[in-house]
Amino acid sequence: MSAVASPSQQLITRQRSSAAADAATARVAYQYLVWATVWLLVGTVAGLLPAIKLNWPDFLPTPWLSFGRIRPIHTNTVFWGWSTMALVGLAIYVASRTSRAPLWSPALARIALWLWNATVFGGVVTLSAGWSRGPQEYREWVWPLAALLGLGVVLNGYNIYRTVGTRQLPEVYISNWYILGAFCWLLILYVTAYLPIYESGVGNVVIQGYYMHTAVGMWFTILAVGVTYYALPRLLGRPIYSYALGVLGFWTNMLFYTVIGAHHFIFSPIPTWLQTIAILFSVGMMVPVWAGTGNFLLTLRGARHAVHQSYALPFLLVGILGYGLGSTQGTFEAFRTANIYLHFTNFTVGHSHATMYAFIAFIIWGAAYGLVPQFTGREPNPIIVGVHFWLALVGVVIYVVALSVAGVLQGMTWAAGRSFIASIVAAEPLWLWRTVGGLLMAGSHVAFAVNVWAMRPSVRLSEEISAIPIQSTRHA
Amino acid sequence: MISRLHRDHRAIVAFAAIGYLVLTLVIAILPASKVQGTLPLPGAPVRSAEAERGRQLYLKEGCGFCHTQFVRDLPMDRPFGRASLGADYAREAPALLGSERTGPDLANVGARQPSEVWHLIHLYNPRAVVPQSVMPAYAWYFESKEHADAGDVVVPVPKAFASSDEVIAATPDALALARYLLSLRQFSPAPGR
Repeated sequence: MSAVASPSQQLITRQRSSAAADAATARVAYQYLVWATVWLLVGTVAGLLPAIKLNWPDFLPTPWLSFGRIRPIHTNTVFWGWSTMALVGLAIYVASRTSRAPLWSPALARIALWLWNATVFGGVVTLSAGWSRGPQEYREWVWPLAALLGLGVVLNGYNIYRTVGTRQLPEVYISNWYILGAFCWLLILYVTAYLPIYESGVGNVVIQGYYMHTAVGMWFTILAVGVTYYALPRLLGRPIYSYALGVLGFWTNMLFYTVIGAHHFIFSPIPTWLQTIAILFSVGMMVPVWAGTGNFLLTLRGARHAVHQSYALPFLLVGILGYGLGSTQGTFEAFRTANIYLHFTNFTVGHSHATMYAFIAFIIWGAAYGLVPQFTGREPNPIIVGVHFWLALVGVVIYVVALSVAGVLQGMTWAAGRSFIASIVAAEPLWLWRTVGGLLMAGSHVAFAVNVWAMRPSVRLSEEISAIPIQSTRHA
Repeated sequence: MISRLHRDHRAIVAFAAIGYLVLTLVIAILPASKVQGTLPLPGAPVRSAEAERGRQLYLKEGCGFCHTQFVRDLPMDRPFGRASLGADYAREAPALLGSERTGPDLANVGARQPSEVWHLIHLYNPRAVVPQSVMPAYAWYFESKEHADAGDVVVPVPKAFASSDEVIAATPDALALARYLLSLRQFSPAPGR
């Protein structure tokens, strides 16, 4: 002990002075989650409506609620409104925590949030009015909206980059590799998808395959994995099994995921080498997928009791399994034989819900339930969390099973050379089951909204935050 | 350098951005630039202005979410026409290959179902011609009136789908949509060329 303040004393002083900044970080992270939840509810309605219309096509026959207009409202709202805002809210918190620094500029994050809210709201309005770039999945929005979204990506990406730049530790924690990478990659792929200079004729198809695939895999997957690399060890109170596996997953995901988009257009007139590379590298995808899944499962090994005791960890466990199983399913769908019978069918829609829901949404929920109470000081009602968990899990299982069966039936009627309408008659009972699953999922979203409200920051947030020890065991 | 990467967030971002840009160029931008110049088959007809307007409505209503225009070289796709060629999509933006076939493929629908009246009735309410259909009814592209005026295209909708004291007239938009559907004919140059 010397007269000069020890490192730990310095740290405590800095913690007190930054308590207000930490509170601001927490507050903006929570605001992202609130708006994400609003868009989740909007997107859910926009998903249920077309589902119902497949069984009752003359239900609500208004132009702006017609199937073809509302389907892209569902996909874009749950992508950019729900999943993106929720993951970025969590990423802001994770980047700040793992850097032991407050968010560089909470004001900038708030501006980006309102840019995104305006974008998603504008997307709902324009698509229902029929202002659309046509059925190009996840880039149906007219370019001014895309420009707003892109601006928000730049602001948030820069903000998090600066935050990681002010970190108090020498290492960049693995979560931040994923978070910074995701912002970089989304910006590149989004600009690529909206530049109109190589999109005539089949050129459009090459870009569509690249975009629709990497928008999912280089953004949502990466952010969700990055958030898990923080949330899982934090909730378990033990380090991640392997840092190196995380780095391996990061680079191999970039290499493999980027080049496999063409597997959405097997047997199409795009160059055959693109299709073949896409199939080969889809197998390669097993490396990052199981590096991530395996790493998480090994971190969870022997933690049965912790999972049982926590209401957040079961969500993360489902999300991790959803990641591994959903992605493996994707690899098998890429094969030419599977493509013959399953492409164009509902099987694909089942797969996208196995991944965007059973993986991405469950990771968001697990991280939200695990992390938000740590910075707001308020816990949700465990019973309502349980209701959320079981409705969402049973709902998505019914949904995915129903659509997978429907897809196989569609493929079989086509292969049997029967009249096209036979495939609709065969799928229709399963579409009803899809709506049943969807209703359960919708119920779970209402429960989540109740819980988000229950976890709202208390008025005395800044004092409470300063009472929470920020020091990690590493510094102690 | 590589061994110190985990201590340098600038380097992580730089490597991730450059690596991804290179992959994007190789796998997306360069191939797209190359194939976008694919020419139409020699002698392929050019779509009329009205049919082109119909195509814009087809995009607006999101028809392509359920209808492909993409015939694969597979036995099960034979009923829809010959295998699609890059040339079939020449100069179209966006090309409407599609990813889901909730409804049938339309690459060659103008040849498979050449009746304009059928298409108009079907657009007004698909269940009037295909009872099990789950396609939306596009009734907002039609006018219901007491008497047909001069120049109206009256659509003979079955009685069960329109009351007996009204006539259903196609708006210019409905006609444009039907003309677009009729223009979807796979072109093959005359043999021997």
